[in-house]
Amino acid sequence: MLIFDQLKKNDPPLRALTLGVLIGLGVLLVGLWWVQIVLARGYQASLETQSFRTVRVPAPRGRILDRHGVALAENRPRFNIGLYLEELSPQFRATYQQARPRQVITNALPAWTRWLGFHTVKTQYVKLNRAESDALQWAVRTAVVSNTVAELATRLQQPVPFDPAQFRRHYQSRRALPYPALVDLAPVQVARFQEQDAGLLAADLEIQSLRVYPFQATAAHVLGYLTSDDTSHPGEEASPSYRLPDYRGLVGIEGGYDAQLRGRAGAKSVLVNILGYRESEVVWSANEPGRNAVLTLDVRMQKAAEQALVRSGVNVRGAAVVMDVRNGDILALASVPAPNPNHFVQGFPPGELAKLNHPTLRPQINRATQEHYAPGSIFKVIVGLACLENGLNPRATYRVQPNPANPGRGIIYVGRRSFRDLASPGDYDFRRALLKSSNAYFIAQGLQVAGIENIVKLGQRLHLGERVNLGTRQETAGVFPSLRQVTGGNWRDGDTANLCLGQGPIAVTPLQMAVMTAAIANGGTVFWPRLVARLEARTDEAGPATAEETFPAARVRNTLGVSDRSLRWLHEAMLADTEDPEGTAYKPFREYYRQPHAWRVCGKTGTAQVMDAHNRLTGHTTWFIAYAPYEAPRYAVVVMVEDGGSGGGTCAPIARDIFTALQRLETGGANGLAYTP
Amino acid sequence: MYDALLNERQSRLDKLQAGAVLGLMLVGALFVYSATMVNEAAQLAPLLQQSWFRQLLWYAVGAGGALALCLVDYQTLARWSLVAYGITLVLLLAVLIPGVGSVRYGARRWLDLGFFQFQPSEFAKLAVVLALAHFLSRPREELKTAAVYWKAIGLMLLPFALILKEPDLGSAIVLLPTGLVMMYVAGVPRRFLLRLVGGVGIVMTLFLVDVLFAPPHWQIKLEDYQRRRLQVYFGIRSIPPDATPAERQRLLNEYRDYFHNIRQALISVGSGGLTGKGWRQGTQNALGYLPRAVAHNDFIFSVIAEEKGFVGSVTVLTLYAVVLFTGIRIAGQARDRLGRLLAVGVVTLLFSQVFINIGMNIRLMPVTGVPLPLLSYGGSSVVGSLIAMGLMQNVYRYRKGY
Repeated sequence: MLIFDQLKKNDPPLRALTLGVLIGLGVLLVGLWWVQIVLARGYQASLETQSFRTVRVPAPRGRILDRHGVALAENRPRFNIGLYLEELSPQFRATYQQARPRQVITNALPAWTRWLGFHTVKTQYVKLNRAESDALQWAVRTAVVSNTVAELATRLQQPVPFDPAQFRRHYQSRRALPYPALVDLAPVQVARFQEQDAGLLAADLEIQSLRVYPFQATAAHVLGYLTSDDTSHPGEEASPSYRLPDYRGLVGIEGGYDAQLRGRAGAKSVLVNILGYRESEVVWSANEPGRNAVLTLDVRMQKAAEQALVRSGVNVRGAAVVMDVRNGDILALASVPAPNPNHFVQGFPPGELAKLNHPTLRPQINRATQEHYAPGSIFKVIVGLACLENGLNPRATYRVQPNPANPGRGIIYVGRRSFRDLASPGDYDFRRALLKSSNAYFIAQGLQVAGIENIVKLGQRLHLGERVNLGTRQETAGVFPSLRQVTGGNWRDGDTANLCLGQGPIAVTPLQMAVMTAAIANGGTVFWPRLVARLEARTDEAGPATAEETFPAARVRNTLGVSDRSLRWLHEAMLADTEDPEGTAYKPFREYYRQPHAWRVCGKTGTAQVMDAHNRLTGHTTWFIAYAPYEAPRYAVVVMVEDGGSGGGTCAPIARDIFTALQRLETGGANGLAYTP
Repeated sequence: MYDALLNERQSRLDKLQAGAVLGLMLVGALFVYSATMVNEAAQLAPLLQQSWFRQLLWYAVGAGGALALCLVDYQTLARWSLVAYGITLVLLLAVLIPGVGSVRYGARRWLDLGFFQFQPSEFAKLAVVLALAHFLSRPREELKTAAVYWKAIGLMLLPFALILKEPDLGSAIVLLPTGLVMMYVAGVPRRFLLRLVGGVGIVMTLFLVDVLFAPPHWQIKLEDYQRRRLQVYFGIRSIPPDATPAERQRLLNEYRDYFHNIRQALISVGSGGLTGKGWRQGTQNALGYLPRAVAHNDFIFSVIAEEKGFVGSVTVLTLYAVVLFTGIRIAGQARDRLGRLLAVGVVTLLFSQVFINIGMNIRLMPVTGVPLPLLSYGGSSVVGSLIAMGLMQNVYRYRKGY
């Protein structure tokens, strides 16, 4: 072979030269093998870190729909105009060349060079040091972008603000991404931009997905709201170079089902050149859109409930729950006042943020589930049931003594304590006692017939004092005494008497009362309330398909374990509350019953005293629980208003309005109950 | 003469070497194309402005020159060697005159001929080889005298000093091994050569120690970038201990800037892996990480290594190996000592440049502006290298037994 021929020859100098060349080439070969084979992976990694930037691309968030598929939360496209810096960079360069300072110098050249045609006067660039050239480059870039933005403004026929400081921030930290010159364009601007062929400007439209709540504040608490959050979640690119704006649900369905609604953010990588400008883009993990959540709510019922609450006064603070008594589905879960969830995404108009933190209005609190209240007289339905189950003869009468200080009203003495009554003295059977809400009757029967233990046991079957796990992160368990607490030595008859009036160590949420009302109406089944019916399957081709996830309706949590006879007596008495002229809710329903085919409504009013820290009366929590129609119950409605006048005066009319709306909905009348936001 | 050229039995062309040279030219044209056609602006330029086309033109000019050279036998040519040497010295001097030599990248290496920048140092290398071969081909006894030895050294050092002054450290440095090997093969006594090697070694060491470690006002005057390159190669950051933070930052930045080229070359070569990313698929050059100004000349090997991987690098090395070893074979077959020395000189010159250039791409050697013969873009280098090939073929053509 060529090499060995040279080595074998008897020619020492050439043999040495051959050996030298061979060793030299061998060294290069080993060096190349070391760099290109052994260390190749390391250098490939360095190549990627210096020339690729990853961008986290959030997934479109799943929609939140009502039971008929009406969107309560959805996404609308938001158009931004982005300037492509990499397309402007030749302009940066050209402008820089023009802007560089020049100087004219005169050379004192020897005469003979002048004969040769060399010029003595020359124009040349002034040499700049690094700081000077950086400053000049910066000025040039700002000028070019500012001019482009101005040109954009003339084409859009409207001023476009340009903030050099903002541009500088973008240039320094997000150079590979387009510079957002104008965000959230109106449709007319989008149209103008497109017909002007503004692509010549190195600008293009970018579409961002923006969360919107078309019904504004309707069902605001149930939906919850979002907060800006673009951190990576498990299973996503952990440390992208750039993150596009993203949101995270804080409370409500947005918060509780955030993982399902959010989907999975994707990533794209941008190839950048030495100057940091973008060269090309590769999507290397597509995002998986979030899944839609279908609620049990009916947005028309929800709106009806909210409007009924709001219409009842000025700055009403209250809640209303509409539940299907046959399966525990929540049809409306209203709480007023409510914030507008759009503001959390788009920013608050002036003054709105102050309202959000108002100390008494507290719009962020979901009063239907997040706050507990003394139930007052509505608890008498439980006391009554416990009495009927334990041998109370509902026809037997009990005589209520007049109050010596106020002979028109009754009174009862328990030990050393006296309990005044709003009902008049006289003879009471079960029906009359319930419809007039006689304190004395229920205290006497509760103490003598039912006994505290049976009342507590019945309350426990309703899971008072326990959460219902709606998954909205807005829940309180409420307060309810345990058996041990009431059989211990510190429990007095006076405490039992107080509890029979729905006061003392008892606090409930309106949702818990809706479960109770539904259980009474449906013959004794205590359901788990259901708010999310299902998470829809994803059908688009992006990402793996997911099966529909359904949450079963009518999940039984417990039964009341009371006889039909007792329930029938209670139903009769509750019906009488709205129908009997003596009933506490007779007045609000009088007009209502004059309508043909009006539902017969069974109800119970409640007015609980609210005490401050010094045991002074500061106001009343007023309640009305009801269900209808009497013959075949379908809807349970619970209304609670803070600082109301009385259960019959404040809450019963609200409930009546809700029933009116429900009935109109069922019979197909669409007056004021349209789907439109 | 022409009958003999066509004689099959006794070929007058070393076909293997010519094939390897053709292969290198093909690779050169392809990758100069790849290195320069990176954006639309480059593609829209007129054909005459495009580097790959100009490179093809230079190949043609160089090949024509080499062919012309083969028409006259090398002994006749060698008689003109001192004339060529003299002309070269004049050109090297002319380059140094301000207003005549044009300055690029801080060095005065070019004569501006309008359509083309002429770089005399590329031809000076050849002239030195020619002159030394002519001078050393005298009778062996004369070589043993000190006067001849010192004259040979002078012959080598004169252009060396002029090229160093430009400054063009790389082109100057390749003269040293070339001269040394030629003297060794010519038969200059070993004690002289050892003295030369020792002397050069001591001077180089002192020079490096002075440049890298001595306090500023004791240092030999060097261009700033030359000092940086050497410091980068030896991994030394010369930051005075009493530097202010701002000054320290400035020096660090400077160090990083100078380190940038060599680091990007390494990333290019390393990320090529075994088979590379494919012709024109390399990103280092297209995105500008490998500086555009050097990608197609001094760092052409990075582009080849990135796009064709280890396989491509080995192919290039093999082509050079063929050229070098056929060159040594030609030296062995030469009719006389002049031909032998010419071939040895050209082989050593070529090998030194290949070793320094490829070594620089993988951080084996410091960055000096030595082009890769036949591959790097550049008229002077290409034409010079092809003429050198022509000289070698000339020696082959008039070899022993012909």
